[in-house]
Amino acid sequence: MHYNTNEEETCFLSLVPNMASARRLKRVAASQPGFINLKSASDSAGSASSRRKRVNKNKKKNWNKHSDINDIDEFLEDVRHQERTTGGLLSEKSDDSLFFLDIGQPKKAEQKEEEPVEGKKRKGKASRPLRIDLILQHDSLVQPPKDVLAYQQPNAKKLRRIAQKAEQLAAKGVVPRRQKQLLNRRPVDRTVKKAVTEANNNPDREYYDIWGQESKNTADPWYLQQTGKKLVKRPEKLNEKPSVLPAVEVIAPGGSYNPDFFSHQALLQEAHDIEVKKQKEEDKIARQLAVNRADTATEETVFNEQVEGLVEEENEEEEAALDEEEEDGAVGAIVLADKKTEKKRKRERAEKIKEQQRLADRRQNDRRQQLFQLRSIKASIKQQDQKTQAKQIQRKAKQEAQKAQPRRLGKLKFQPQDMEVQLSDELAGSLRRLKPEGSVLKDRFKSLQKRNLIEPRERAKFKRRLKLKYVEKRAFREIT
Amino acid sequence: MGGLQKKKFERGSATNYITRNKARKKLQLSLPDFRRLCILKGIYPHEPKHKKKVNKGSTAARTFYLLKDIRFLLHEPIVGKFRDYKVFVRKLKRAYGKTEWSAVERLKENKPTYKLDHIIKERFPSFIDALRDIDDALCMCFLFSTFARTGKCHVQTIQLCRRLTVEWMNYVIASRSLRKVFISIKGIYYQAEVMGQLITWLVPYQFSHDHPTDVDYRVMATFTEFYTTLLGFVNFRLYHSLNLVYPPKLDSKTESELKDEDDYAMNSESYLEKLSALSASLARVVSTAEEEEAQLDQFPVEGEDIETMEAREKEEKQQEAQKKLFEGLKFFLNREVPRESLAFLIRCFGGEVSWDTSVCIGSTYDVTDETITHHIVDRPNIDKQHINRYYIQPQWLYDCVNAKILLPVEDYFLGVTLPPHLSPFVEEKDGDYVPPEKLKIMALQRGEKPAQEDEEEEEEEEEEEGEDEEEEEEDENEEEEEEADEKNLKIMEEQRSQGKSLKVKVTPGKVKVENAARLEQEEKAEEKRLAIMMMKKKEKYLYDKIMFGKKRKIREANKLAAKRKAHDDAEKSDKKKKAKTRK
Repeated sequence: MHYNTNEEETCFLSLVPNMASARRLKRVAASQPGFINLKSASDSAGSASSRRKRVNKNKKKNWNKHSDINDIDEFLEDVRHQERTTGGLLSEKSDDSLFFLDIGQPKKAEQKEEEPVEGKKRKGKASRPLRIDLILQHDSLVQPPKDVLAYQQPNAKKLRRIAQKAEQLAAKGVVPRRQKQLLNRRPVDRTVKKAVTEANNNPDREYYDIWGQESKNTADPWYLQQTGKKLVKRPEKLNEKPSVLPAVEVIAPGGSYNPDFFSHQALLQEAHDIEVKKQKEEDKIARQLAVNRADTATEETVFNEQVEGLVEEENEEEEAALDEEEEDGAVGAIVLADKKTEKKRKRERAEKIKEQQRLADRRQNDRRQQLFQLRSIKASIKQQDQKTQAKQIQRKAKQEAQKAQPRRLGKLKFQPQDMEVQLSDELAGSLRRLKPEGSVLKDRFKSLQKRNLIEPRERAKFKRRLKLKYVEKRAFREIT
Repeated sequence: MGGLQKKKFERGSATNYITRNKARKKLQLSLPDFRRLCILKGIYPHEPKHKKKVNKGSTAARTFYLLKDIRFLLHEPIVGKFRDYKVFVRKLKRAYGKTEWSAVERLKENKPTYKLDHIIKERFPSFIDALRDIDDALCMCFLFSTFARTGKCHVQTIQLCRRLTVEWMNYVIASRSLRKVFISIKGIYYQAEVMGQLITWLVPYQFSHDHPTDVDYRVMATFTEFYTTLLGFVNFRLYHSLNLVYPPKLDSKTESELKDEDDYAMNSESYLEKLSALSASLARVVSTAEEEEAQLDQFPVEGEDIETMEAREKEEKQQEAQKKLFEGLKFFLNREVPRESLAFLIRCFGGEVSWDTSVCIGSTYDVTDETITHHIVDRPNIDKQHINRYYIQPQWLYDCVNAKILLPVEDYFLGVTLPPHLSPFVEEKDGDYVPPEKLKIMALQRGEKPAQEDEEEEEEEEEEEGEDEEEEEEDENEEEEEEADEKNLKIMEEQRSQGKSLKVKVTPGKVKVENAARLEQEEKAEEKRLAIMMMKKKEKYLYDKIMFGKKRKIREANKLAAKRKAHDDAEKSDKKKKAKTRK
């Protein structure tokens, strides 16, 4: 039908070429039986007043240029618009689809009646589409334009051909090279990477027989050495322990939770001795620091100090006189040595030589005499040997004892831990009521220090880099 | 003359040592890193003999290391890891500062870590070396496993320590190698014999930590890091030596016996908890029922005579007996006793143990079980007592283990004042003072029935009744005998002094009964006397000295024993008085 109207239009145009557009539109509209225009045609009056222009239309170019086709365009546009929006021409639609009968508001009684059968109603409602969906429903006759590019594929033919060939090859069992490479590649082990980054204290970590297997380093030793991968052999000396003390020193029997009376007493005695020693040292320091009575100022000394130099004393003068005399004497003592004469020098030299001679003679004589003292010399030598031997033994013993002692390894000396002791009244009668004494952590730490594994150290003190400054907050200041 | 002038401190000990700071700079490490490295590699500071020489004339106290040690450290691959870690921290800080979360994520994923396996191998070339040094590792791991998970150290470390200690305890149970236990005021000392090595470790009491402030936690954590690695490898090896599955698995048979408690712990943790309950045995690689161990033939080692061999055999027999100390006994632990320690002890000697289900996972039978032989209780009395089982205090178990026999239970009943808990780590030489309690135990070990003890007890009972004549009588008797002897002597002396000739009388001869043993003894004594006489002066002097020392020791021991007796008597009389006043 739509097509038909268009055809009529063209033939009509060919018949009436020079007509005013408005009028023609009217006629076009009129020629359509029952056509309803969407837009109101109000501009017909304006166009009628314009003067007709005469143009020769014997040329195709002029014909194209001067023939007025606005009205037809508008009409067609309107038709298309109608088709797009309302899904067909309005003129062809039935009255029912365009209008409805307004019978006012429905009665309330009817509504109330409907309520009891709500369940059923609901079902009916659910099956009926929502009004909003109806409004949005696509009802135009015109199909939405196709996106051509979405369907087209560049090189489609070639690709199709390749795919076909690949299919054929796959059917034969031939795999393309790239695929083969991919297949041949080793799968990336995610877990391996995890193992590398696994922390040392992971509670689920794995252990293996570290002493059973021999080192698996079979690579060239030269290569390993040059690339720094070879482990350097540990010097034997490093495996010696720095102390002979055992790792765990068991507490004395008096340290039992329910000790034997005497061992407990012995432990208490030991603790007591240590405490006494400490106290003595403290007392000594206190004594040394105490202010001497004689040094404190008394009234007399204060007064003396104040009058110092104001009261002249007689004996001072005397002392001064004495000093002067002494000074004179000292000056007189400096005497210039006389120059030696030649004769004197000669005599001195001769005396010196003679003395040397005498000493040499004596020495020789003594040596000769030693022959008769052989026994006593032997005895003395023996004695000396014994002495050195004894000293050696002593030194060895001392060195052995030193090995069990904590060494001085840093600024601080090793401070032994306070002894863990429970007094007789602190002892618990049963395991349930036992109150542990001391800390095992500290015991272990001190043991490490005692065995020279770590140096005794003080905790680093916190040093404030910038000075603190106290400022009152403004809000607070306003109140006070 | 001539030649270059020798400069000071360019040779000798000055070049053998290096100060800590210099060493640190040489390794390009910060002080904490350097300290950690030294601990891990087992390089310790060294005190030079002549400090002034080493210290270039200064006498200031410094920490010195041997230069060769530090040179050795230069080759350590871990040093590189430490530097990497430093860079990692720097980058991470930067990323945080710039709020680049993706970068933070990436960095964290690639956090540099290091392994200590090669250091273990290097420091302990053989397994037995590692086993010798395991004491420290055990102490540290047991200590760290009792820490609260509050951030004093990494929670992961605590978990790992717990796992390793549980594994160790399970091994000791499976191998039955525990020897001694000592409950001290500090903690519990255990001693086990593993592969011929005596291993001692200290376990702190649970929940007893006040964290001391003067302990360097970082140093301790570093030691622990090293020791956890060591202990793990040692555990692996030990488990395999017994054909046990390493990460330990519960025996399927016993596992089914355990009651399942879903609400006790999370699924991930419940297995470790079940293991740490110590009530089930472990799965073996080759599941064979208790193999009968073949009796090994004994060959005398060279330079060892038969006597020592016999002594050794006897000791071994005793040890075997000790291993089966609690076999066939069924224990039930009341809720107030230290569960883990006691369960460990009982299982180590073959006993069966259970506890209330609310105390811990892994209990195997109820209180109401008829077959329970011993119920361990640590309170003065208990309301509901079942018949045919002993209610005893926990110290009985510990004392039994140390005495290597089942001690009489009477001394350990509820509400009874316990005998002292003696240290098994003290070994008395002859002549030392031995407390009477130990003497009693030794007598029991020899198989002697404690007859006098019974008497004493009877006496005590009588005393409680207010009658203690018997003892006094005994004393009197002794005194009387002595007096009689003295009287005889006095009479003889008097006679002599009066110049009277003693009464001479011929009596019929008696056949002297020669006691062979006594003769032999006398002969020996005579020989010894002669030998002493023949000594050189010097040797004699030394001998006298030694004998004097021995005598002194005996004297002191006697003194202590007398003191003890006096103390006991005083206590007894006190008790009596009290009893009388009560009456």
